[in-house]
Amino acid sequence: MLEKKLISELHKIVGKDAVLISKEDLNAYSYDGTATWTHMPDVVVLPTTAEQVSQILKLADESKIPVTPRGAGTNVSGGSIPIKGGIVLCTTRMNKILDINKTNLTATVEPGVILQDFNIALAKQGLFYPPDPQSFLGCTIGGTVAENAGGPYCVKYGVTKQYVLGLEVVLANGYIMKLGGVTVKNRTGYELAMLFTGSEGTLGVITKITLRLLPMPPANKTMMAVFDDMAVGGQAVSNIMASGVVPAKIEFVDNFILRRVEEMTPMGLPVEAKALLLIQADGSPAAVEAESKQIVDILQKSGAKNIKVAKDANEAAMYWKMRSAGFAATFGAAHTVMAEDVAVPRDKLAEFIRKLDEISARTGFFISYLGHAGDGNLHPSIFTDMRNKEEFARAQKAMEEIFEAALLVGGVLSGEHGIGLEKQRFLKRAMDPVALNLMRKIKTLLDPNHILNPGKIWEEERV
Amino acid sequence: MSKSKQDRYEQIKRFEADLTKCMKCGFCTFWCPVYQEERLEPSVARGKNMMIRGLLAGELDYTKEYADRLNKCTLCMACTANCPSKANIPNVIVAARADTVKARGLKFPYNIIYRWLLPRRTLFGWVVRFASWFQGIFLPRTEGTIRHLSMFLSALGKGRNIPQIAPKFLRQMVSVVNKPPEGVKTTMTVGYFTGCMTDFVLPELGKHIIDFLNRNGVEVIVPQEQGCCGAPVFLGAGDFDTGRKMADSNVRAFEGVDYVVSDCATCTSALKDYPKFLADTPQREEAYAKFAGKVLDISQFLVDVLKLPASAYKPSAEAKGKKVTWHDPCHLNRHLGITSQPRQIIKSIPDIEYVEMPNADRCCGMAGSFSMYYYDLSKQIADKKVESIKSTGADIVASSCPGCEIQLIDSLLRNKVPVKVMHIMELLE
Repeated sequence: MLEKKLISELHKIVGKDAVLISKEDLNAYSYDGTATWTHMPDVVVLPTTAEQVSQILKLADESKIPVTPRGAGTNVSGGSIPIKGGIVLCTTRMNKILDINKTNLTATVEPGVILQDFNIALAKQGLFYPPDPQSFLGCTIGGTVAENAGGPYCVKYGVTKQYVLGLEVVLANGYIMKLGGVTVKNRTGYELAMLFTGSEGTLGVITKITLRLLPMPPANKTMMAVFDDMAVGGQAVSNIMASGVVPAKIEFVDNFILRRVEEMTPMGLPVEAKALLLIQADGSPAAVEAESKQIVDILQKSGAKNIKVAKDANEAAMYWKMRSAGFAATFGAAHTVMAEDVAVPRDKLAEFIRKLDEISARTGFFISYLGHAGDGNLHPSIFTDMRNKEEFARAQKAMEEIFEAALLVGGVLSGEHGIGLEKQRFLKRAMDPVALNLMRKIKTLLDPNHILNPGKIWEEERV
Repeated sequence: MSKSKQDRYEQIKRFEADLTKCMKCGFCTFWCPVYQEERLEPSVARGKNMMIRGLLAGELDYTKEYADRLNKCTLCMACTANCPSKANIPNVIVAARADTVKARGLKFPYNIIYRWLLPRRTLFGWVVRFASWFQGIFLPRTEGTIRHLSMFLSALGKGRNIPQIAPKFLRQMVSVVNKPPEGVKTTMTVGYFTGCMTDFVLPELGKHIIDFLNRNGVEVIVPQEQGCCGAPVFLGAGDFDTGRKMADSNVRAFEGVDYVVSDCATCTSALKDYPKFLADTPQREEAYAKFAGKVLDISQFLVDVLKLPASAYKPSAEAKGKKVTWHDPCHLNRHLGITSQPRQIIKSIPDIEYVEMPNADRCCGMAGSFSMYYYDLSKQIADKKVESIKSTGADIVASSCPGCEIQLIDSLLRNKVPVKVMHIMELLE
């Protein structure tokens, strides 16, 4: 009875309360934010220290049991689903903010700290951590590092990897390894901390994170521009980026989402608009004033039908709420929503949008999209119904065409969600085969028994 | 004879729209007071929703663990209020509790308390009285204390403060018809739903409310046939059959009045929930809807219906010159959308300084039977509330839910924070 023995070993490591084995509890760790994937683990453990994580991994490695690291399970790539069963190692109870250093502009946190809790703690000291995946209310910082997450702020401020200075990682064999440090500059050897950032839990379990911070920008201004044509809106984004101004956020919402949001929460949005850009400038009051004038000017010249500058923080908050409700609005729209995460070079945005329209016309699938136009990262969604096998197959085919179109203009498969289970079918086409092979070698070197998040990133070898 | 599948999930099916609306984003984790303490996925709306979906899919069953995870929710509605797809998971949870009771029955001693005792108001009063003698023997008496009455018997011996039973119940103190004093013109007649807490523990509050309404030209009817609102029975325990009996008798008791005023947020909300959860026939649907339309929270009645001028609000001796903060009961705020009326009243009172507390609308963790099943968890949630109250520097925390008030008194005492807990009506002369 390996299983019974394993459970009692886990009890010894983390205590009885932190080991979940009932069917009802396992069910709660069988899903993430995606619609398509579920799989039950055999056991869930909730460690509170790196030492406990180390002992769990040692035990799993010796018994060759799969371990799926998980934060709050808000990811949308299938990354935290225990597709091979085994152990779910959940970090939500490792949730202490260990240090916020206002002078060094750094913070050190445990992986289970909720991003929004962190933001609130920083705001009290006038500090700012820009990466803002739209799951910030639920997601853990450990999860955002493992997925190298991004969000609207990334146009100006970059994604998670630009802020990771140091990590503590537990390796598959249980060794607790320290990487990087608390300095902004660090040229000591290979950038191994970056290897684990975005590794989707396949190389190690992150147990401590040191992040770079910024002072909170003192002023910001939100602008909303309406367009008759999505591609014209896309061109406006390229024009802004080429002008030398870098807004903090440039977000893109299509007519479908606009209507859905207005239906859910009426706020007087221009529902007739074909496309809508939301732009935020931030910085010193003088700079914000000058930049927003310049942005409004470019928007006008680029063919915006209507431009609104938010009068106050309330109006701005209303627009941004609309944007964050947007993704949810897509999900409620059909039985199965395939929401993707491609990113294209910013100067190819208009071209890519026209491609999407073409694909939509040709395949007959309506394609809705919203996303981070400022960094070329769009979330095109296809509405379908998995229960209808024939239609679902055609929808998958249409999605493949979208990927192909993105790759063709020099884009990538995933801007911020990661590969997980959702996108592994396309990985081979999106990466240099030698690089892919190198990744596999690194994986085997760090995790020889392949216990860490097995079944992710790579497609299973077909025997 | 085996029941059909449809029958097994009869109530859940009624809320299938809420069940399927959840798209698993997990934003509810940030707002859920239970998840914030436990950090476990089965604690939060998304987890419970997925568990119920698992039940419908035949992957899970009506087990002890299932019932436990269902019970572990305060129904505070913070998840729904912040849900991007507006999925009302508390609806599904209450429905699932009902189907569980249908499938598995109620366990001792709850079957006795819910099915037999609570629907019989006079007998219940006697049992409460009888138990109060033991309370005097077994437990230290603390000032102004504590705990929900339906859990009264099982509360004994758990080492917590439980309510001191009033020497005389409200129903024994006041008449059925209470007219305004001579010289005051009667402008309106209302029924007063007294609720168990006010009736048995806080009769002075009830008397004060009747006096206040009388002085402001309102005739107050206190029907003797009224009973418990049923919240612990149909919302907490999921016993819809008994809930219907209680609802029917309350509806009958208030047939002749246009307004039913209540001083308890939970009662108000439960009375208004009759049509949603308990209407099983067209007759009941009509009667419950009509009744629910008449029910008003006391602050809502004073501000929106009676439209009292600010000058009508004068401070009571206890509240005069004090700094007061307001705790939003979940049943008042998110269930009924009443937030501005109580604040308007408090701000209108001269010689009182109003201070808003941070997270005033966060659940206090009482939630009736929840605090009995999970007392430790309930205390942890309450401690966060105590921190909020403390940060305001207020002398008094006011609310309008005796359930919340009991929890606040218990938690403030336990944390040795000398802030007085008062019902909003006690702030008024």
